[in-house]
Amino acid sequence: MNKLMLALAIALAFAPAAHSADVATPKGMPAYGQEKSIPAPKIARQTLPNGLTVWVVPRDGLPRVDYVLAVRGAGFAADSATQSGFASMLAGMLNEGTAKRDSRAIAEAAQGMGGEVAAGPAADGITLFANALASQAPAMMNLMAEIARQPSFPENEVALAKANALQALRVSETQPGFRAERAIKKAVYADHPYGRTDPTVESINAVTADMLRAEHAKRFRPDRALLVITGRISEAEAMKLAKAAFGDWKASGTALPDTPVVATGVKPARVLLKRDGSVQSTLRLGSPGIAASAADQIPLRLTSTILGGGFSSRINTNLREEKGYTYGASAGARMSRAGGMMVGGADVRNEVTGASLEEYFKEYKRIGSETVPAKEMDMNKRYVAGGYLLSNQLQRSVASTLAANWLVGLPPEFLGEYVPKIQKVTPEQVRTVAKKYFAPENQSIVVVGDPSKLDEQLKPYGAFTVTDK
Amino acid sequence: MRQLPVLMAGLTLSMSAFAASTDQWTLPVNTKKLDNGLTVIVSEDRSSPTVGVSVVYHVGMRLEPRNRTGFAHLFEHLMFQGTPNAPKGVFDTTITAGGGWNNGSTRPDFTNYIETAPASSLEPILWLEADRMKTLDFNPTTLKNQQDVVKEEIRVNVKNQPYGGFMWIDISQHAFQKWENNHDGYGSFEDLENASLDDVRAFHRDYYGPNNAVLAIAGDITPQQGFALAQKYFGAIPARPVPKGTDFSEPLNTAEKRLEQSDALAQVPAIAAAWKVPERGSRDQAPIAVLAELLGGGDASLFYQGLVKGREIALNVDTMFGLTSPWEYNGPTLMTVFALYKPDSSADAVLKAMDEEIAKIAKDGVDDATLKRVKTRMLADWNNKLESFVNRADTMAKLQVLWGDANVVNKIPGWIEGVTSSDIQRAVKTYLVPTNRTVIDRKPAAMIDAAKTAAAPNNAPAGATNQGARNE
Repeated sequence: MNKLMLALAIALAFAPAAHSADVATPKGMPAYGQEKSIPAPKIARQTLPNGLTVWVVPRDGLPRVDYVLAVRGAGFAADSATQSGFASMLAGMLNEGTAKRDSRAIAEAAQGMGGEVAAGPAADGITLFANALASQAPAMMNLMAEIARQPSFPENEVALAKANALQALRVSETQPGFRAERAIKKAVYADHPYGRTDPTVESINAVTADMLRAEHAKRFRPDRALLVITGRISEAEAMKLAKAAFGDWKASGTALPDTPVVATGVKPARVLLKRDGSVQSTLRLGSPGIAASAADQIPLRLTSTILGGGFSSRINTNLREEKGYTYGASAGARMSRAGGMMVGGADVRNEVTGASLEEYFKEYKRIGSETVPAKEMDMNKRYVAGGYLLSNQLQRSVASTLAANWLVGLPPEFLGEYVPKIQKVTPEQVRTVAKKYFAPENQSIVVVGDPSKLDEQLKPYGAFTVTDK
Repeated sequence: MRQLPVLMAGLTLSMSAFAASTDQWTLPVNTKKLDNGLTVIVSEDRSSPTVGVSVVYHVGMRLEPRNRTGFAHLFEHLMFQGTPNAPKGVFDTTITAGGGWNNGSTRPDFTNYIETAPASSLEPILWLEADRMKTLDFNPTTLKNQQDVVKEEIRVNVKNQPYGGFMWIDISQHAFQKWENNHDGYGSFEDLENASLDDVRAFHRDYYGPNNAVLAIAGDITPQQGFALAQKYFGAIPARPVPKGTDFSEPLNTAEKRLEQSDALAQVPAIAAAWKVPERGSRDQAPIAVLAELLGGGDASLFYQGLVKGREIALNVDTMFGLTSPWEYNGPTLMTVFALYKPDSSADAVLKAMDEEIAKIAKDGVDDATLKRVKTRMLADWNNKLESFVNRADTMAKLQVLWGDANVVNKIPGWIEGVTSSDIQRAVKTYLVPTNRTVIDRKPAAMIDAAKTAAAPNNAPAGATNQGARNE
């Protein structure tokens, strides 16, 4: 029942901006107060002899430690073409048994420390997250290391995970958002592994415990891993725990090759995914984007914010607040290590499917042709800066942002430099990158909905391939 | 196969201990009531130059007009649609340009409005909140616009989704007897469309006065500063009479209710089982909270280990207290267990498995090691929830509205710590009994059709269950 649920998660600072940027300040409303300087987190850094990078950010505040272990090259991009979504199974199985404990013992140990430990997959890596009460810092470090280094992939757990994954896939496929995302990724990334991060029945069935063990051995390597430690712990203590738990970790075998660069010359697609009886159309517009470390990334992040990053973004203001077509609409850049994509999306009622696409294209065209007014620029820059302060308030988000940046190739300094860089972006830069990356003619369109209600409305947008998948 | 893990768990436990003194965390709570009845809470924390703000009104779905289901929530949306002083768009853009973020939500017993931003935005935020407490811009355009938006919200969260919120919308309709507790808080499209500007005006007048609200600020501010700002921006808003509510209390149920629903969008069956829980403030409330964690809180819980692992019949297990938490209700509420189960299993098997786990607790209680683990995780989770300033402010404001005491935020850890095995046994025997239970078995339409076809040759009845309609 929240006022708005963003349809899309947008990288790092997801943000917002403005149609009523031109509305006058109400009489009597106080001005903003004095800005306080933005503190950049102090990060202590060490590289262990085995190549593991360790960053420590001690903090006061709540009595908890947070650990994030990011393993680069272990994610979806490392999955073979026939094993799409495998990284998800690999990540999920890590805490289902180790050389020393079974899954129940792991769950109970974490519970007893007032915390949890689990892993999640991303395109560019697998990330383990762990936290515990401050008094349990050493015990949780050991548990996380055990899970990262000595997972045992027990046969019974693998069989259960496969059976459950097949059912979970059936559940996912009933959700229009899942089907829309799967299709737009495929349309934009074509054959690149970023385009196939969802499992299939075949890829789930093919998983074996041996495969999990072999892939774990190949993908989990200290020289491709970063450990971030933050919370109520000293730098010295954190480094000591890291060395004790990971100092003797050795890589085995040859490292996997780096992820190939995404090709950008893909031809825009038109796909209508059949969902008979659907009372809404789920829309996605997508086109090739850029890598997280590419030159255009800073102006593109701000452009995404202005166009489609929050309540006051142009897209949401138009489709929700002016037209009432949707509960929430968004658009923006997603950036990975070897490439990225632009994605816009909303769920709209059937009758306004064509009209919603029209408004999307109108906004895409406008931001690529007219310069954004100074007040709207300013509002969005302040929103990004505020988002930075707010996310730095949470120790888990500091740790996970540092790790996520590292995975996609951004240095630790990026966290502190991001806001000052955003503040230098000009309206001309916004127009230039918007024209380049949100060009209407480059957008693939995916619609999940009831074809009988949509055929006429979609006609102006070209010939749609109608399919069940 | 399950015995070894239990032994190992015992060993693990003895080492991992419980919350040490270094894990204690007490939050400052400063409270002041303005002359107009607005309660103000300030909790200082200088670790970040930001603030969290929450304004909670003591009105929710239970108090909305009878022929206006969904109105409390629709009204929440209208609170963002502008005032005579600050026209549509100003609220959001002012907060955005101040570097902040805002939202609102509606629950049975309260409606909250939250903002978080750099401290430099605090005064504009308070001005905006006070401005819309005074009056709204009542106009047909924004009303129509938000009726459309809310309908899209219901489509995206209910009508276009498999399971469609049956574990909180539908189950309440069957578990409760009184209209206040059992109607659909999202509302029917007809009621939403019939909402008029007069309704908006009356609801604002009756329930949105300062004397029916709590303002909480957490973060980079002193109590003195916070109280002064509250007085400056809210002090002149007159108190308004609040209608006397009806008595919406109701006793525990005395007969189990079970029904089957057909779901046109689902491919995998699901079940929700809900028990009425003790009223707020009951000595059984904390035991029920601990019990819910013991049964369904995470991978170490008895239901996860017993149903997802162990018997391998469920895909997941979640527990919920309506749409809130075990501490944030003030009228009849349910503890609901929701699970997707495997198509080759059945609702009967899931219920039987749950009953077996429950019966073990009723008979033997909970061993010390397990109880300690569960409490440790609950205490840590409570701390974690309060890390962000906006959650901190919001939690304090809600507790003030519901309990009349924001400092309950610091009491809950002690209440959890004090729960004993016999408290849990008593709670299980009183509340988690079949007669107090409501169950919905939500099956994919195709599964029901297939069962009917299979049964037809023998001329057997399609089932003794009560086939419910999809809630549309």
